[in-house]
Amino acid sequence: MIAVGRGYSVRQMVRTAAYRAVTPVLSVLLAFLVSAAIILAVGTDPIVAFGSMLNGAFGSQTALATTGVRMTPILFTGLAVAVSFRAGVFNVGAEGQLYLGAAFGAAVALLPIGLPALVHIPLALIAGFIGGAVWAFVPGYLRAYRGVSEVVTTLMLNFVAIQLVSYLVDPLVGPIGERGAAYAQSSVIDPAAKLPILLRGTSLHAGLLLGLGLAIALWVLIGYTRLGFRMRMLGANPIAARFAGVKSAREIMTVMLLSGGIAGLAGAVEVIGLRYRLFDHFSPGYGYDGIAVALLANSNPLGVILSSGFFAALRAGANSMQQATGIETSVVLIIQALTILFLIFRPLRDWIGSRAGRPPRLAQDTLIDAA
Amino acid sequence: MEDGRHQTPELLRMDRITKSFGSLLADDAVTLDVRVGEIHALLGENGAGKSTLMKVLYGLHQPDSGEIWLDGQRITIGSPHEAVAYGIGMVHQQFMLVPNLTATENVILGMRAERRPMLDLAAARNRLVELAREYDLEVDPDAPVWQMSLGGQQRLEILKALFRGARLLVLDEPTAVLAPSEVGGLFRIMRQLASEGRGIVFISHKLSEVTDVSDHVTVLRLGRVTGTLPTRDATPHTLATMMVGREISLDRTTPPVVGSDTVLEIVGVHCLTDRGTPGLAGVDLVVRKGEILGIAGVDGNGQRELVECIAGLRPITAGTILVEGRPPSSALREPGLLGLVPEDRYEQGLIGDFDVSENLVLRAYQRAPFSTNGFLRWGRIRDNATQRIAAFDIRCPGPLAPVRSLSGGNQQKVVIARETQDDPALIVASQPTRGLDVGAVESVLNLLRQQRDRGAAVVFVSTELSEVLALSDRVVVMHKGEIMGEVPPDPAALGRIGEMMMGRSLASIDAGAVA
Amino acid sequence: MQLDVAFLIDWGSAAIRLATPLVLAAVGGVYAERSGVFNIGIEGMMLSGAFVAVAVSYFLGAADPAVASICAAIAAMLAGGGMAFVHAYLSITRRADQIISGAAINILALGLTNTLYRVVWGSAGRERVAGFPTIRIPILADIPVLGPILFDHSLIVYVAYVLPFIAAFVLYRTTWGLNIRAAGDFPLAVDTAGLSVTVTRYVAVVFSGMMAGLGGAALALGAVRYFTPGMTAGRGFIVLGAIVFGRWNPILASFACLLFGAADALQLRAQALSIGIPYQFLVMLPYLLAVLAIAGAIGRSAPPLALGRPYRRGER
Repeated sequence: MIAVGRGYSVRQMVRTAAYRAVTPVLSVLLAFLVSAAIILAVGTDPIVAFGSMLNGAFGSQTALATTGVRMTPILFTGLAVAVSFRAGVFNVGAEGQLYLGAAFGAAVALLPIGLPALVHIPLALIAGFIGGAVWAFVPGYLRAYRGVSEVVTTLMLNFVAIQLVSYLVDPLVGPIGERGAAYAQSSVIDPAAKLPILLRGTSLHAGLLLGLGLAIALWVLIGYTRLGFRMRMLGANPIAARFAGVKSAREIMTVMLLSGGIAGLAGAVEVIGLRYRLFDHFSPGYGYDGIAVALLANSNPLGVILSSGFFAALRAGANSMQQATGIETSVVLIIQALTILFLIFRPLRDWIGSRAGRPPRLAQDTLIDAA
Repeated sequence: MEDGRHQTPELLRMDRITKSFGSLLADDAVTLDVRVGEIHALLGENGAGKSTLMKVLYGLHQPDSGEIWLDGQRITIGSPHEAVAYGIGMVHQQFMLVPNLTATENVILGMRAERRPMLDLAAARNRLVELAREYDLEVDPDAPVWQMSLGGQQRLEILKALFRGARLLVLDEPTAVLAPSEVGGLFRIMRQLASEGRGIVFISHKLSEVTDVSDHVTVLRLGRVTGTLPTRDATPHTLATMMVGREISLDRTTPPVVGSDTVLEIVGVHCLTDRGTPGLAGVDLVVRKGEILGIAGVDGNGQRELVECIAGLRPITAGTILVEGRPPSSALREPGLLGLVPEDRYEQGLIGDFDVSENLVLRAYQRAPFSTNGFLRWGRIRDNATQRIAAFDIRCPGPLAPVRSLSGGNQQKVVIARETQDDPALIVASQPTRGLDVGAVESVLNLLRQQRDRGAAVVFVSTELSEVLALSDRVVVMHKGEIMGEVPPDPAALGRIGEMMMGRSLASIDAGAVA
Repeated sequence: MQLDVAFLIDWGSAAIRLATPLVLAAVGGVYAERSGVFNIGIEGMMLSGAFVAVAVSYFLGAADPAVASICAAIAAMLAGGGMAFVHAYLSITRRADQIISGAAINILALGLTNTLYRVVWGSAGRERVAGFPTIRIPILADIPVLGPILFDHSLIVYVAYVLPFIAAFVLYRTTWGLNIRAAGDFPLAVDTAGLSVTVTRYVAVVFSGMMAGLGGAALALGAVRYFTPGMTAGRGFIVLGAIVFGRWNPILASFACLLFGAADALQLRAQALSIGIPYQFLVMLPYLLAVLAIAGAIGRSAPPLALGRPYRRGER
């Protein structure tokens, strides 16, 4: 997968990338095809619908900015999930980790400590990372040392996290809730903790750059460091990894904490970059979107950039599509779901051929260990 | 003489069964005939073709050619369901029991109930208890299977077959899970069932049991029948020879380097198997620099556990293991201590999705020259691969070829090339030639010899006696988790080795020989 | 609000009402997981069921409410079953990852129901439709305290009373149930016994979808009688927790659902009650309990051994 500097010729790399891209691209096309049929059935011209979607996503500077804003959180959560997938760990708890990261980040960002942005922002981000990692700790521990499946535990904790944040910003009793507010929200964060805006007049903030940087950093981590090698070993063949001396428990813990932390960053970045407050129920499912994003990108961090951009474009374009044609924004969800369904529909994969890169082996078969 | 046997009616005849999987010929024109009331032993090493033959009998595979005759009628068996309908009952090595269901529920699984869909639990339970009493097979009908001992599960499997009216019972390595005291009980049942007119196929490695309980024995080796004869005419020596074949090479290369430095020291080691039964029951071994210790023995006598204990992959419940004075937990982590060639080269020794160069550094990637400051040096990893590929003559498209595309022999070379990278003091090779063709076997054995010549201590675990004798400087035999004795690698010792495999200690053999 | 009998009756009745959709979905989920297939798509199937139920009831507007609601329920079961069939196909026949398949179905259901919701009702928003008829069981409903709590509900609640017991009976006392339990534990034994692991699992999964759909119908038509986009709001996931909590036993899982329903009812009333605990912690409670259960802190947790593992003959 990670091909640069490994000795592949450019031609080989391009070919491999092309092969690896075929399945996702084909899945997307098929999803659009089916959605077009649905749109047609509802009485609208799909070409017009998709055209307005395209326009809404890329048609103007504002549109691009909107796409970028939508892309940021799912870029982070996509990376979080991709990292876990690579190591054979199934972190479906990105949503909850995102909330905890937002809470920790907001807590730090709210502090009127009078620090310059250069210090306050990194502090808030670190807090966000820690928040997400903390939330991933228990499921990670249970998986690493007790063999308990991380799927149901992380899933349940998502809801706990949402409620926890809801409590924190409760207008009546929440510790950081703004009293007397119309919505459940925290106060505005310290101005020094706000991320700079990239494009004047829009909401596009530096979080996107952070995400892109993180994606590259993770690409380097997975492909070029010892930790990354261990993660890939674990994800590809945990048995052989054990025979080669890898301590799987420790690695799984590390991966879960890393994954959780990155998801936590997603939340913190949303708070200090976009909303400047911690809101109740502020995430429309970014954590779950991260799963789709990671899947479409075959858990490749650079691919996540593309797939998160794609899904963001869908969402950004959906609003324009609704305004122009009256088609519900929820059609985008249908496209997203169909994309995944086509992606996991094996014959499509097999048809592309075995050279088209395998997805990471997922930890399905390590539900509670009897032994 | 055979006369009496020819007069007994034929129950089952598998005639010239041939089955291959791709390029692997598992069974080559194998003929097996079982008479009514006969206990027929099927003997052979792993990979000899026994389990494939039985899978054909049970309808899990279809033979490429050959016929199956039951009671003189030609039949085809398309599925396990059909096999059961024909009265063929199988007690597999891996029990086909659902752990969370009770004994009674397991017995009736898949059977047509009288009042469908209602389960006739009461009636089934009664019949089960009745059968159990009739054959004196102790079983608790209401206990969930996971609570039962392995011996109890096996009794249940037998009862399951009887419940369905099996006339031919196939027992696949039944004594593997039994305590010595339970084996007698099993044989009693077998004799009782046979005397009632059933036929029993008894698959085993263990020469002593074969001679104890069977009437007739067929020996398989590498997919072919190497002999079939009445048990009373068979001696351990003849059986061992049939199992091993005549490829015992007398070519010994350089005489063993007698070093004085102890590399591997194992004292009084006990451990448990995955199932919780005793794995090692007090093993003492010493291996020195520049020698190859061959561990012979029928598969499943503790060899696997011994290898895992040495590598630190299995906890020791008593005793000590020292590799160059270091505990097993360091063996895989510290460079230069242990090179491990695991039994299952693809699942345990390689990462199929990785390429050759990555597989070659699975153990060394953390250290210089392959990484510096936490970052991998892919250039050096690749160069290393190029070099090792040349040195070990690994046939592959290149260092970046995915390892799953290599042939078995070349895959094994990758494993050996990796494990010998740091010139480890100890090399443990577990069944390294399994599934390899003749040429690859030769390469692997030569590579091990080279390591020995370099001064490493080599532990060579193999069920292939011919290879053990050809390669080793010393040979020990393992039986039920213990070392039975040590002999020089002399073909003349074959008889003694056979007896040790049967469970007799060397001391008692020699004492018996003198007397 | 006082903590008196009137409150108790109100709370108890609400608990049962809120638990009903969970119970229905949980029973189905138990069957699916018992057969070895993880159905994380229960949320989406419930949502689809809720939508279809309301839509059918809406279109049958003029008909007798009882008839309309029963047709709606059947339609909901078909919708849930249909989605489950897709999940079954991908998970069993295609051996795709069961989590991803289920997650995709959830997203698909959300997208489809939101889209179709607008199509059917446009911007008119929610309209009340005919729901399940309320039945007050005479004599039994006159029992003090327990009577109004248990015996004065819509029809679907009584279904939820009975279903777990029937489901348990089938699971433990019939051949079908035996096959399902075996398929989820040790499918190789099922295969060698001459039964089809595939068919057994398909049936269990489709059944779970039908029950989830019915649960959605209960959610929509049981009390509120309209559809709101995304109205399941995570109930399908708490059902997964109830299955674990109830140790894959239909009756115990239903009691877990009752517990969760009670917690849900309590949190809705907590503020007025001024217990002092912020309601969010009560909402959290079921999920925390599920985590504790799966971690083995509450009793021995023993899932079906082959849960989540696609079956292929010839594999160990």
